[in-house]
Amino acid sequence: MTTTVPAPPAAETSIGTSAVTPDALAPHGGRRRRILFRLLALVVLYALWEIAARATSNPTFIPSPGAVWHQLIQTSTTHDGIRGYSGHLLIEHLGVSLRRILIGSVIGVVGGVLLGVVMGTVSWIRVVVEPVVTFIRALPPLAYFSLFIIWFGIDETPKLWLLSIAALPPVAVATAAAVHSAPTGLVEAAQALGANRARVIRDVVLPNALPEIFTGIRIAVGVAYSSVVAAETINGVPGIGGMIRDAQRYSQTDVVVLGLFAIGLSGLLIDALLRTAENRLIPWRGHV
Amino acid sequence: MPSAEPAGAAAITVTGVEHAYGDVVALGPIDLTVPTGEFLVLVGASGCGKSTLLRLIAGFERPTTGTVLTDGGSPVPGRGAGLVFQQPRLFPWKTVGGNIELALRYAGQPADGVDRLLTRVGLPGVANRRTWQISGGQQQRVAIARALAADRPLLLLDEPFAALDALTRERLQEDLRTVSTTTGRTSVFVTHSVDEAVFLGSRVVVLSPRPGRIVLDLPIDLPRTDITPNDLRGLPEYAALRAEIGHAVRNEGASA
Repeated sequence: MTTTVPAPPAAETSIGTSAVTPDALAPHGGRRRRILFRLLALVVLYALWEIAARATSNPTFIPSPGAVWHQLIQTSTTHDGIRGYSGHLLIEHLGVSLRRILIGSVIGVVGGVLLGVVMGTVSWIRVVVEPVVTFIRALPPLAYFSLFIIWFGIDETPKLWLLSIAALPPVAVATAAAVHSAPTGLVEAAQALGANRARVIRDVVLPNALPEIFTGIRIAVGVAYSSVVAAETINGVPGIGGMIRDAQRYSQTDVVVLGLFAIGLSGLLIDALLRTAENRLIPWRGHV
Repeated sequence: MPSAEPAGAAAITVTGVEHAYGDVVALGPIDLTVPTGEFLVLVGASGCGKSTLLRLIAGFERPTTGTVLTDGGSPVPGRGAGLVFQQPRLFPWKTVGGNIELALRYAGQPADGVDRLLTRVGLPGVANRRTWQISGGQQQRVAIARALAADRPLLLLDEPFAALDALTRERLQEDLRTVSTTTGRTSVFVTHSVDEAVFLGSRVVVLSPRPGRIVLDLPIDLPRTDITPNDLRGLPEYAALRAEIGHAVRNEGASA
């Protein structure tokens, strides 16, 4: 302590850190404008549809909106002693399909998450299983449906297998990727607190992966939706896919379009529900 | 409270340690003994191996050659030392209180210690808030509270205040000095700030640029109790220590 060099100036930087709320980044007044644009788009689409239907004058090729509306009433009520379509109301067709989608998606999601966690944490399993999952993901559901028909018959089992297998790969891939890329910083933070491997997976890796898992779930439900028509091509009544299939056989284009609307609109509703659940369950999304 | 070892017994023993990342030798050889209760500050230019030495002591790395012993055994992450990183590394899916509760649970301690720990770092009443709803300085305080939760005999801090504004940093330095003095816990603190080293440490070790070697090992014989931070910084001995350490850091930086 003999040197007399003057004390160096404090070299600290002033990097301000403050809490940022999500609202600070949201544009104001955008919501009302968005709704307006969407309504406008619907009106334009409706007008185009009406014009196209009148221009072609062929209801088998393009049924008018009025014809589809009429079918909505017909399939939702009992008329002239006929109950709905093929003996089932539209809501029953839709309900049966949604039940299949729900069961198939739940099985696929649970299986996908479990498989994804194993793939993300055990590297040799990832190496072995990943190509298989990618292979299945690339197959059109209708391709392996034939196999399930041979194995399980034509009742509910092959349909649920089809939807489960179709829903599994997106969740497995998303989970594996998120688990595999868990941030080292947070893993080390947990280890420094005394967490063992199981606790690190439970308390850090899985919660951290949840946003990606949820994205995988949304994709999986979408895949299950798009596969339900394929699943209901054989012995699919009651079921919205079965209804569409039957209507196609008899060239009832208005019923086919009605079925497509039922699937599409219920799909939008389910996706909105999933988004709401995601926002509630993962409030930290965007804050990591 | 930390384990009641006799004051002066070695809490950390580093013997002939060298560490390399591939072909790049980052550190060593280093020989260092840290007695129980000491507040050791490692100072040096960026990339000199300070953080590597801390990670070796924490057990996150194994030395290429030599041995590191903490409490007489090989260090294992989460066993004998609490660790505070440069970034708070809080778990955003847990509340502020949830982060500390998790640390208490891992340590097998009752969860009702959350409020006590938050009060200890000057943050009463924020337990239910989300981690992103508090400022960077508050997050770092929570990280310190979380590291203290397990009540381990050793506390390791890797430039914990580096990313904070000057005012917040100064306030946290004062709080940490008070906490360390009252608990008597052995601490190793990494920084590149000479002022921070003199203010916090009871001993300062200056490392040379890569590969980091000890070029100055200086006890800081300044009062740790019954003195305000301003009075401490106003002492002529404080300025002299700052000058001597600053000189060593600058000389080593220039010779690199």
